[in-house]
Amino acid sequence: MSSHSPETADWPGRYYHIDQVLNTPGPRTDEGFLAGDGVKNFLREQAKILVIGAGGLGCEILANLALTGFKDIHVIDMDTIDISNLNRQFLFRPKDVGKSKAIVASEFIMQRVPGVKVTPYFGKIQDKDDDYYMQFNLVICGLDSVEARRWINATLVNLVDPENPESLKPMIDGGTEGFKGQARVILPTITSCYECSLDMLNKPTAFPICTIANTPRLPEHCIEWASVLEWPRVHGDKKLDTDDPDHIGWLYRVAAARAAEFKIEGVTWSLTQGVVKNIIPAIASTNAIIAAACCNEAFKIATSSAAYLNNYFMLIGTDGVYSYTFEHEKRDDCPVCGGQALEMTLSPDMSVEELIEMLTEKQDIQIKKPSLSTPTQQIYFQAPPQLEQATRPNLEKKVSELVPPNGEVTVTASTLPFSLSLRISYST
Amino acid sequence: MSSQEALDIETSTTALTTELWAASGQNALESSRILVISGTATSTSILKNLVLPGIGSFTILDPTKVTPEDAGNNFFLEGPSSIGKSRAEEAVRLLCELNDSVEGKADQRSLEEVLEKDKDWLLEFTIVIAHNLEPGSLDKLSSLLWQDPAYPPLVVVRSAGFVAEFYIQYHEHTVIESHPETAQSLRIDKPFPALLEYSMSLDFENMDVTDHAHVPYIFILVRLLEEWKKTHNGNPPTTYAEKQKFKKSILAMRKKSDEENFEEAEAQAYRAWTPTTVPSEIKALFSDPKVLSLTTSSPPFYHLLYALSKFVEEQPYHALPLTSTLPDIKASTEAYIHLQKLYKKRSEEEKEIFKGYLKVEVPEDMIDAFLKNSHALKLLRGKRWGALDADPQALASAIESGPKQVATHLALTALATVAAKQQPNAPLTPSVEDLTAAAQALLPPGTELPEEFPAAVGEVARSPTADLPNTAAFLGGLVAQEVIKMITKQYIPINGSCVVDLIDTWTGVL
Repeated sequence: MSSHSPETADWPGRYYHIDQVLNTPGPRTDEGFLAGDGVKNFLREQAKILVIGAGGLGCEILANLALTGFKDIHVIDMDTIDISNLNRQFLFRPKDVGKSKAIVASEFIMQRVPGVKVTPYFGKIQDKDDDYYMQFNLVICGLDSVEARRWINATLVNLVDPENPESLKPMIDGGTEGFKGQARVILPTITSCYECSLDMLNKPTAFPICTIANTPRLPEHCIEWASVLEWPRVHGDKKLDTDDPDHIGWLYRVAAARAAEFKIEGVTWSLTQGVVKNIIPAIASTNAIIAAACCNEAFKIATSSAAYLNNYFMLIGTDGVYSYTFEHEKRDDCPVCGGQALEMTLSPDMSVEELIEMLTEKQDIQIKKPSLSTPTQQIYFQAPPQLEQATRPNLEKKVSELVPPNGEVTVTASTLPFSLSLRISYST
Repeated sequence: MSSQEALDIETSTTALTTELWAASGQNALESSRILVISGTATSTSILKNLVLPGIGSFTILDPTKVTPEDAGNNFFLEGPSSIGKSRAEEAVRLLCELNDSVEGKADQRSLEEVLEKDKDWLLEFTIVIAHNLEPGSLDKLSSLLWQDPAYPPLVVVRSAGFVAEFYIQYHEHTVIESHPETAQSLRIDKPFPALLEYSMSLDFENMDVTDHAHVPYIFILVRLLEEWKKTHNGNPPTTYAEKQKFKKSILAMRKKSDEENFEEAEAQAYRAWTPTTVPSEIKALFSDPKVLSLTTSSPPFYHLLYALSKFVEEQPYHALPLTSTLPDIKASTEAYIHLQKLYKKRSEEEKEIFKGYLKVEVPEDMIDAFLKNSHALKLLRGKRWGALDADPQALASAIESGPKQVATHLALTALATVAAKQQPNAPLTPSVEDLTAAAQALLPPGTELPEEFPAAVGEVARSPTADLPNTAAFLGGLVAQEVIKMITKQYIPINGSCVVDLIDTWTGVL
């Protein structure tokens, strides 16, 4: 069996391939590149890298990092392994179903690639504080959640202390959907950040409630009816667990019955599961491409062996291989890294409730359950309950009654570690 | 739980993947046999992404033993404990762990031996993938597979450090299910009789308020267009002013200001004056030599194309056959289902007419898929691997259109040229000068190498034999994806070369 001790791990020839690019600079290598032992020691002895997510992208990322010579890798994931993961998350086997993704993935990598230390954390990124994130040289995200990405992005931007260059942690982010994917390099406060590009996200399909309730036409409408309206009506406060086959089975039967009543075809078990879990189809090959692109950027940044991506790579693989590499620009009014208040012109008749709805839906803001205040008063707070109750009457008031023209409104949400400043003016 | 439900759960692992290429694509994948030549890091990365979604079987052809260098960069070898063992056997063993239903075989013969003694063996495979083959063997292999279309397509993959390229050699590749982003025409400008008749029969004036707000926009547009044509010499709105006027007439029909179906009709009004035509790429297929010289033994794709061309030529609308796929439309359930039924009935009638033009029997599900995608069919004709490099003029004009891509391609070709000239097992350490001279020799006299060439060739000279794990993983994903497209005959594969540069992180096609 192979040994895990670093002394015996680096057998002669182990890094024959990698060392070709670490021993010599190329035409596009920065002058600061320390060819030879300097860079190898940093990569293999000192560099500490954090991987967020041990799912489709995460499994690929961990394998690539280990092979390229990163030896101190940490990985966070709050999920456990589901049977449906096995067709692409290649570090997991049927015997691992139900176990922590972070732990199983770490053990697999350490077993397969001798001398690499992978430290798992089975939990949420929000459990960790600034000191934790401060210890890494780089962060790679292979996440499927917008909320988690916004959180880590804002956390890494907040971490930057201009007096301390070590506090700037490059963040490399990947994402895939079917045959499409993107990889990007974020240098917090220097390049455009995740929040800057929020408006590039596809808007999730939302079906109007009246269609669901009264005029269903598609199988999806019947499934939404079952999960959004019938589940709470029949089960009261019992929470719908989309991982529970009994719950999905119930939804499937209710949706199928409604579809039959309205003569709508196409309600199936997998469609039901897909709609309620909002599942985006993922395949091994796209994950491999995007994870490789992310790890390659991590390798180039950690070693300076070649120029790195500036700053966004987008791939569409449905019609040939189409990709687009471009520089996504920083937004001056980005609530995370911009510093300037977002200008907003409202109708003088707009109510606070309408403003909240707008903040939730607007593509470049998308703040769920926002709380609002001005420098002098609380407009509306989602929590705690006493404060919510006290500020609730303001919902019906006009914004113009509470905020003077050119006044500033601070928007916060418990899920996001930043606040958004709005400068309000009124249309006449 | 019903047996159907149980079956649904059981298949839920593959359900998500199958969503992208449907059961037909999954079946094609599951009956495919893949040959991969040499068990490099890139080769196993490609195979990983084919084994996971479930190909039928794969074979790794590789006579070598695992070296310490292999053990360091290949995830499908077990570090030092694999050193000295058969590279093919070790890789097959570890790849097979990923999916019980896939059969893997290690074949320890050399490619040379197969080419000399067992050429027919290659006929067994659906597709052959070759990574960083020695130029002489690659040339023999690609010539053999090209000489008879009975041989499988060949994917040639080559990489050096941060740069790479792959090429798919095939004679012809046809795609029915290209998964287009655009939908077929609803033919609002050329309504079929039942649609027109029903649209004209609606009594908007005396309609119940709720019903009025739930008339699907298709009926509204058909009705208004017909009325418009009566007062405009049979023409649809053509000028900007006319189009605005037409849109206003839609909104004027509203009984209440919040009728969303009329708002939708206004937003979709362009469908009334955009003529339904046959896309020019599809028209071009009608005169393809294989359609014009159709015989009973022609592949079904060409028979379907022939029938399509006759349908367009002889049927009164000169349009593609109607499909019954409708978008979601603001409507009551009854109105929507009524609309669906009208389209379905008519599309079935047109399908029968279409079938009348077929000269041979074609499976029903193939006809259905063909008609559903008749606006987005693809016919790709390929070239022999190496055809570009053998044609100086073609290279010169490729430099004009894609200098960056050609620069990387030439740098990799130059590496192969230099490698072919030296002793087989001598270390490959070419100089930039030698590589540049080899690339220059491929171009017509007087043609300059692209200005991007030094950036590419410098990388090749820096790491001529490096199979970097990240480059291998990147290629592993890209090549597997193209191979899936080839096997399933769904989506559109590349037609030629795909070039990769992982320093500035771009891909390009050639």
